[in-house]
Amino acid sequence: MTTHATIQDIENCMNNGWSDGLPVIPPYGSLVDAMLDAMGWEAQDVIGEIPSQSIIITAEKAAATAVMAGCKTDYGRLLRALTEGLLDPLLNLSGAEVTTGGASILVTVSGPVVEQLGFEHETNALGANCRANATVGRFAQMMRYFCGRGGGVLQSHGTIGHPGRLSFCIAEHPTTEWGAYHTQFGLPQEASAITLMSTEGPNSVNNHYGDTGAQILDSIGDCMVHYGQTAWYYRSGGFVVVIAPDHMALVARDFTREQAVEYIYENARRQTDDLAAVGRITKEPRDFAGVEPGELRSPLRERNQLTFIECGATGGRFSAVIPRWVGSTNAVCKQITSEQGA
Amino acid sequence: MTELASSEQPADQLISCDDVSCELLIDPIPRPMPEPITVALKPRVAKVTFVDHRKPNSTVVIKYAQDILRERGVDVRDDIIIKGDASTRMPDTLLQSFAGEDGLVVCGISD
Repeated sequence: MTTHATIQDIENCMNNGWSDGLPVIPPYGSLVDAMLDAMGWEAQDVIGEIPSQSIIITAEKAAATAVMAGCKTDYGRLLRALTEGLLDPLLNLSGAEVTTGGASILVTVSGPVVEQLGFEHETNALGANCRANATVGRFAQMMRYFCGRGGGVLQSHGTIGHPGRLSFCIAEHPTTEWGAYHTQFGLPQEASAITLMSTEGPNSVNNHYGDTGAQILDSIGDCMVHYGQTAWYYRSGGFVVVIAPDHMALVARDFTREQAVEYIYENARRQTDDLAAVGRITKEPRDFAGVEPGELRSPLRERNQLTFIECGATGGRFSAVIPRWVGSTNAVCKQITSEQGA
Repeated sequence: MTELASSEQPADQLISCDDVSCELLIDPIPRPMPEPITVALKPRVAKVTFVDHRKPNSTVVIKYAQDILRERGVDVRDDIIIKGDASTRMPDTLLQSFAGEDGLVVCGISD
């Protein structure tokens, strides 16, 4: 039963910095113990470290955060893989938290776990009103917020940020045209996995009248190469392309995934002199930026910086482009290995 | 009670009490151990060292800043320390080398 004492505890958390700005489930010991059990950890297990901030992260912190985000203990094994991914130094969790780029952590869930845990992968797939999506995505952002600021010593410097900094989780269709999302990171088709990267917010791609795969890919590619997109100078991030079924039906008829990557890599480009003229490339580019005057420049340094995820509902010809934060040099993909959610 | 401003540090401990008992809530926030490093806002000597993190036009801006400081009589280290890439952590060896600096170390200047 919810009591006024519980409401007071929620207020207490919010008033004292134990919150992402939304009401939280108070991290009572009994709830945290159950979450620890579900995640398969002991409270004092060391699960991560941020040496530059002299921070050691114990399992109890992650379990408390999962409780506060509203996660069910049923998600325990997924949360364990997710936590390991979040604390993988390659993800640069603290960098995502404090950057002016206002990045969030995008959580992608793929494989049988999507249906086993009840993730929404169709309607409003990028912002689903579904507990699994909402709380798992929120957990990732809260971990970024709680662990990425040196215990509250550092400040976040996001200039404008985006709504995904509260929750950002996408689940892939259990059955796909091009294979599971995680196969793009070397995991087997039959696996369940989470993939993490720091990203900006999604850009919608609308094409209702095209009737070829190339027209859809041209629309997607055009969305990747507007003047204001971030990756014109630094190209260390990349893009996640979200294709919904009505677009996918056209694209998959004409392209394999590899062909689609190649098509966009070759065709989605802008001329470097134009980019320099509007101030999108510095006047004195460094060698590492690889700027060639007059060339048609791709926002991708390498083809593998572009990945595709299949999700969303039928009945609308929409897709989306999610730019990765330019400090997001690495994506982290982890297999969910236990019975629960595997 | 007013909500905590984002610039304030979160509480170390919260307690939940009902009519008959109290329990500690589990703190979700990892804290630095030992205490976080402190930055001396007033350097011991009036000398400035610049670190170039190689963002756009950083070298131009730093050299300009060096000239202005020298005109104002501030001692400025001639060589500019290079950090390879703005998107990666500062190497520990470089960080340690700054620990003994008595002057001001400035990093992250660019357009």
